[in-house]
Amino acid sequence: MAKIEDKIDLYDDRGKKLLGDVPITALSPLRNPAIKKICGLVARTAAVDLAGLEKRIETGAIAGKQMIIRGKGMDLDIIGKGKEIAAQIKDMLQVEAGDETKADLVGGGKRLKVEVPAARILADYSAARTNVCAALTQVIIDTFGVSMWNAPDIKGAVWGMYPQDPAMTGTVVATLVDVPISNEGPGYTLRNIPVNHIAATVRKRAIPGACLSMILEESACYEMGDALGPFERGHLLDFAYEGLNANNMLYTLIKENGQDGTLGDVVYALVDKAKADGVAKPKSKLGSGYSVFKTDDLQMWNAYASTGMLAAVMVNCAAMRAGQPVPSSIMYFNEMLEHETGLPGVDYGKAQGASVSSSFFSHSIYGGGGPGVFHGNHIVTRHAKGQFVPCFCAAMCIDADTQYFAPARTSGLYGEVLGAIPEFAEPMKAVAEGAKEII
Amino acid sequence: MPQFTPGKSIVGQNRRKFMDPTKKLEKLRDVAEEDVVRLLGHRAVGEAYKSIHPPIEELEEPDCSVREMVKPTPGAAAGDRIRYVQFTDSMFFAPATPRIRPMMWFNRYRGVDPGVLSGRTIVEARERDVEAIAKEYIDNETFDTARTGLRGRTVHGHSVRLDENGVMFDALRRWARNPNGDIKYVKDMVGGAIDKEVVLGMPLPEDELRKRTTTFRNAQGGTWMEEDDPEVADVISEIHWNRTWGGFQPFIARSAIKGDKKDVGAKFKLYTPRGGVE
Repeated sequence: MAKIEDKIDLYDDRGKKLLGDVPITALSPLRNPAIKKICGLVARTAAVDLAGLEKRIETGAIAGKQMIIRGKGMDLDIIGKGKEIAAQIKDMLQVEAGDETKADLVGGGKRLKVEVPAARILADYSAARTNVCAALTQVIIDTFGVSMWNAPDIKGAVWGMYPQDPAMTGTVVATLVDVPISNEGPGYTLRNIPVNHIAATVRKRAIPGACLSMILEESACYEMGDALGPFERGHLLDFAYEGLNANNMLYTLIKENGQDGTLGDVVYALVDKAKADGVAKPKSKLGSGYSVFKTDDLQMWNAYASTGMLAAVMVNCAAMRAGQPVPSSIMYFNEMLEHETGLPGVDYGKAQGASVSSSFFSHSIYGGGGPGVFHGNHIVTRHAKGQFVPCFCAAMCIDADTQYFAPARTSGLYGEVLGAIPEFAEPMKAVAEGAKEII
Repeated sequence: MPQFTPGKSIVGQNRRKFMDPTKKLEKLRDVAEEDVVRLLGHRAVGEAYKSIHPPIEELEEPDCSVREMVKPTPGAAAGDRIRYVQFTDSMFFAPATPRIRPMMWFNRYRGVDPGVLSGRTIVEARERDVEAIAKEYIDNETFDTARTGLRGRTVHGHSVRLDENGVMFDALRRWARNPNGDIKYVKDMVGGAIDKEVVLGMPLPEDELRKRTTTFRNAQGGTWMEEDDPEVADVISEIHWNRTWGGFQPFIARSAIKGDKKDVGAKFKLYTPRGGVE
């Protein structure tokens, strides 16, 4: 198997160089310390809604708002005893004294961010959620001296509808990753995170949002067995150019077309760049004078196309200050790119294919979704691996709250909790620093 | 200079003309702006634009470099609602086709969200941007009063046979004809009442439609893609072959695949006779 020898320069979301001459192998989720930390924290971090828990127990709305048992209310000052609860949870979860376990109050004491130690995850990442739920239940019972007769209500308020519903509907413990039963298939764990959560985490900044989204998508590709052997280089190139603004190509495409450029202008600017860099070369001229192009490096062409696709989405969506054009932008970026060159669209046609069904599902034609609740763990999005979902995240970052499912509405808790972790708030810098450590 | 799309036939040339933003599309009529508002039916004539958020300048936008680099459209800057205009194009040689419309708009407009369905093409945008697009695309050569319909709902008719006057079927009868043959709209885009009829004018003659169409059609003397302009199918074949190569092993040379050909396109025998099978 050929060794991966490509090198790139990393730039941030404002076109500032972060690190030069980086071997793309240093961006692998299996090697880069920042990506490993991000993925680890995604699996290990839980957000507890203490204010919500207090209200549920007070009103008897135990497993969500429609499940009210009148006369079952208890007045427990959960927020008031937040510090005590946090300390007890930490004590219960930690495996070794001084390990990475954390339980910190955030959001003015209304929420609790818990990091479960890696040692608790033996084979199944669900251990993060189950252990936090169990610890919280026990701590509430202990702290407030809840009797045996009332303890099941505490359990119901914390765990939601578990075990009737293994997806734990109505739980006050949220994790970025969903329970395994909700995954589309093996290896999909990191793809099952709605883009609004990511948009809220990066404070609605489009390029870092796309980066964080792509970190998770590409990491999932490794877990899905999609980035193995000679296929790995393709994933790393896509990730470097589209997600990490390698060689400042993404930023330049947006900058040059931002003031008066159309989506078409981005397509043709990308083709010019590919020609100038020798990635696309003339193959033959047809009767009308139309030139068909070829490439000697199809994986590199795909990375260029992926970058152009994200830039095109950003230019068109930002001109409208709306997230809704993301599927059509993906579709016609690829359609126009293919018919300009004869070369294939992103992920060899799969991005365009996925955009068709995504259009339906994001425009209330088939049910009432919106791009903000999209993630890579769905039948209409999963086929393009890595390159597709970051476009949705970028679009939702740019959206001026035109969508019903806006990040502020769906993902405030995640934004507050995860946005406080530097690797999540500034993923581009974190990956560059991580790469620097290992090259 | 982009090449947009292949094809040396009149259809290929027209497609490139529609897609190329440097080519000005011929204006065939001049419908008053307030009549466009009537036809769309989103707001009353003279009514102010409704907004879904304050003007961008008054908003505290996130500290996002993309928002700083990309200028909002006039409608987005003002915080307009998002509205739509939708066209049905008859497959009997309407000037535009559902496939060409989004590519045309994506080359000519910023901040648009087109969608193609089986027989109609919608474009959503901020309200004042939609009105500008609607005005231009009702006025210009992509719109024929008989073969193109402005249809918000009950859109079908694109593949239905024409009436005795060569006009596309409309189940809601949004249009009527003046004695001189002019087509006028007596209902708005969704078939609702309008306070004043809007006259769009005479349909184009049949030979003129053939000169302007972007439809390949092996019937009624149309341009047959496979026989008359095979380079279009050749490029599609090339894209398909390249997609298949990438789906298999994108890290090998294409020439290493068994059956790879150096030239572009696939040769195949056409079994359909010219003019199609009725």
